[in-house]
Amino acid sequence: MVSRPTGETMLTFIAKRLFQALFVLFGLSILIFFIARVMPGDPARAALGHLATSEQVERLREEMHLNDSFPVQYYYWLRGLIRGDLGRSSYTRRPVTADLVQHLPATFELILFATLISAVVGQLTGVLAGFFRNSWFDGLSRLISYLGIATPSFVIAILLLFIFSQVLRLAPGVGRLPLMMIPPARITGFMTIDGLLAGRPDVALTALKHMALPAVSLAVIHIAQEGRITRTSIVENMQKDYITLHRVHGIRTHRLLFKYLLKPSIIPTVTVMGLDFAFLMSNAFLVEMVYMWPGFSRYAVTAMLNKDLNAIVAVVLVIGLTFALVNLLVDIVIMGLDPTVRLRRGGG
Amino acid sequence: MKTKLPVLTLLFLFAAGLMAWGAADNVVVINGYPVITADPATASDWYDTEAMYNLYSPLVYPAPEGGVRAHLATSWEPVDGNLAHWRFVLREGVKFHSGYEMTSEDVAFSMTRFITMGRGNSGPLGKVTAQIVNQSTVDFLLDKPSAIFPDTLALFFVVEKNLVLANIKTPGNYGEFGDYGEDWLATHDAGTGPYMMTSHLPGQRLDAVRFVDYFEGWSDEGWGPDEVPIERLVFIMETDYTTLLTLLKSGDLDLEINGGWTLPQLQQIQADPTLDLVAVWSQNVTVWMNSQAAPTDDEHFRKALLYAFDYESIVGPWEAFGNGETGILVPNMPGYVAIEPQPRAQNLERARQELALSKYADRLSEITAVYHFCGGLDFEEDIGLQLQADMAKLGVNVEVAGPPWPEYSASCSAPETTPNMTIFLFAPQAAPAHDYYTYSMFAPGGLGWIFEAHWYFEDDEIIRLLEATRAEPDPVVRLALYEQVQPLIAEHALAFYPYQKPTLFAHQAYIAGPRESIAFVGPSENMHNWRINLVLKDQLR
Repeated sequence: MVSRPTGETMLTFIAKRLFQALFVLFGLSILIFFIARVMPGDPARAALGHLATSEQVERLREEMHLNDSFPVQYYYWLRGLIRGDLGRSSYTRRPVTADLVQHLPATFELILFATLISAVVGQLTGVLAGFFRNSWFDGLSRLISYLGIATPSFVIAILLLFIFSQVLRLAPGVGRLPLMMIPPARITGFMTIDGLLAGRPDVALTALKHMALPAVSLAVIHIAQEGRITRTSIVENMQKDYITLHRVHGIRTHRLLFKYLLKPSIIPTVTVMGLDFAFLMSNAFLVEMVYMWPGFSRYAVTAMLNKDLNAIVAVVLVIGLTFALVNLLVDIVIMGLDPTVRLRRGGG
Repeated sequence: MKTKLPVLTLLFLFAAGLMAWGAADNVVVINGYPVITADPATASDWYDTEAMYNLYSPLVYPAPEGGVRAHLATSWEPVDGNLAHWRFVLREGVKFHSGYEMTSEDVAFSMTRFITMGRGNSGPLGKVTAQIVNQSTVDFLLDKPSAIFPDTLALFFVVEKNLVLANIKTPGNYGEFGDYGEDWLATHDAGTGPYMMTSHLPGQRLDAVRFVDYFEGWSDEGWGPDEVPIERLVFIMETDYTTLLTLLKSGDLDLEINGGWTLPQLQQIQADPTLDLVAVWSQNVTVWMNSQAAPTDDEHFRKALLYAFDYESIVGPWEAFGNGETGILVPNMPGYVAIEPQPRAQNLERARQELALSKYADRLSEITAVYHFCGGLDFEEDIGLQLQADMAKLGVNVEVAGPPWPEYSASCSAPETTPNMTIFLFAPQAAPAHDYYTYSMFAPGGLGWIFEAHWYFEDDEIIRLLEATRAEPDPVVRLALYEQVQPLIAEHALAFYPYQKPTLFAHQAYIAGPRESIAFVGPSENMHNWRINLVLKDQLR
């Protein structure tokens, strides 16, 4: 008999995973902290600009503790982190937390939209291709999937921009809104939501249009991957005895598909989707560059190029944290979808 | 009647909406490189300066003929001839964006804040103490005499004292002044400039609207009949010039002020009748030669490089866009001297003679000279490859490398890590520009680092003359000193100058300006100096 885990078991499981994540993030922070500091370049000079005198540079080096040993520098950084202070960006000259608050929503909004597109289109394609295996649709989707997987996102981004924005003029070009448009007051940082909250549905709609091309550029590779995985899973499950039994009992096709086949078939895809989301966080930068998207990935690249120590460490930690949280979320979702996992967890 | 009123109101609003929809927007989208800070005390790079000249006003203003002219200050003089004690009389009736009038208290506070924070462009000023004489007069006491002090104030922008004090964050690095308002000023303005900031996302976008009460006014004199002041500015910050060209051609971008165009892009812009190009100031393309590292430690070897370089090949295609001869100063600066031995044509025979005189003459095939350019800048790489090809004809190997900016710039922090040659572009961004191109780049007390990557400070006469330029109050005599020092510096062949590179502003044909050409970063990008022709915009769009 399948037993559901008690609330306590689930909580214990989440607490354990969070503790593990904390441990991983601590290790990650040490690693990236030291790597960032051995990269060539003087962060104090970068912060002060070209015309700073040697005295000014030296003074800032002292302020930033750059003349101290690495462990001492790490101690100061960790002390700040415990107080919720990730330090100051030497590039933007603002608290790193303020920069993250500014840039993260733009990327989150974009990749959520991209994930939604890839989930819907990818799974639908996979289900249909699997269910109608070896049909013309299956063949076509396979061909498109291979192309999608093989083509880098930034190439797709440039192509889409050129075709739909420049030639056909069906979609807007770059940025989150037209350059001349005054953005709505920032509440969530999600342009679509802020537009609606400000009572400007036109802004929300425009923001959505601006998101279309970059989101599709990011989603294509994941549509292809998720489509293939779902297809394989559907094909595999269709050969199982319980499906044959349902067929013999004359259960209708759509009922068979949606009630008995879909749920077990999308479990591997959900796992991949979670990883894809975190992957997009760290890999959206080329698409953000092409579309002048003022997001987190673009900020991360700028931080790297300018040896912005605090920003680099914060960026890596945010990506690490996203991976950890998304994986946790995926595990919880899978527990909801798959009774055998619940059984194992419940049984301790 | 009651029922008709809402209908009439709706009709009126609909008609007004239609009119507004039909008229061209009085807004100009400008691309500037990332404006990082909008705080005048921390603004340092030329991109920041461009924003400063729109939001704030400096005490003095660079003049088209060189030197500076009255701006927030109407006059200035050394007190009793003492070059370490300067008195400035301020313009009356200047309003901040808040509506309050500027007084000497604001100027003194701004200077104290500027010097205490020790960031941005404050370095060349040294230690300055501000003293209020009366409501419209302020004294500045320097730690050492400086004849060029008033000129340096072209990068000193005045902030509104009370507004800044109302927005300081404590605790901070500056005792009772907390953070001195640094965080707040990064995204707000407290200036008197022609435009008022409405929002700023550092490194991404800055929005501003016209300040109607700007103290210089908005006279139409000298402008065409349909050329009106620009009401709204949107500064965007994009560094990819392919994207920028697309935006320019689609009409989404009105003006680009950093001029990082490639040659084919410039040709495309030039061929488009709806677009224009205008050049105001030039960057000096400079290849430093490290006098402390073999083989460029030998003066004859350095001169051989100068004579071997094929200037014509490298300048050729760019000549149509104003690239050409340059030297220690840029040719459009008063006092520019065409220097020797900076040849403008390749002379391989002379290069061979110089090599024969160098201490490396008997082992040329064994040596390698390293040339560094900043990774990603194609035209800098082209210069290196040209030099490599030219020197190969003389049997000398030149290694060309383009490390990314952090590594490239860090290598110039000491003579022993500086490569034989480092290419860099110097825009007239430090005040005064003459001092920047001479004292800051060749005196032992200069800016060092990438500004003095030749590491040569042995000629006493050069040092004496450079010190004299900072002590000479008479601008005419000072100019003569600049003329005198240039050939002496050139004699040591510490750098070679492939060409000057005009910064070409690309803009829509309906944008007019700049009304005044000032060879200094900032004033030409001050949008008070530009207009928009809405009639033409309507026709073209």
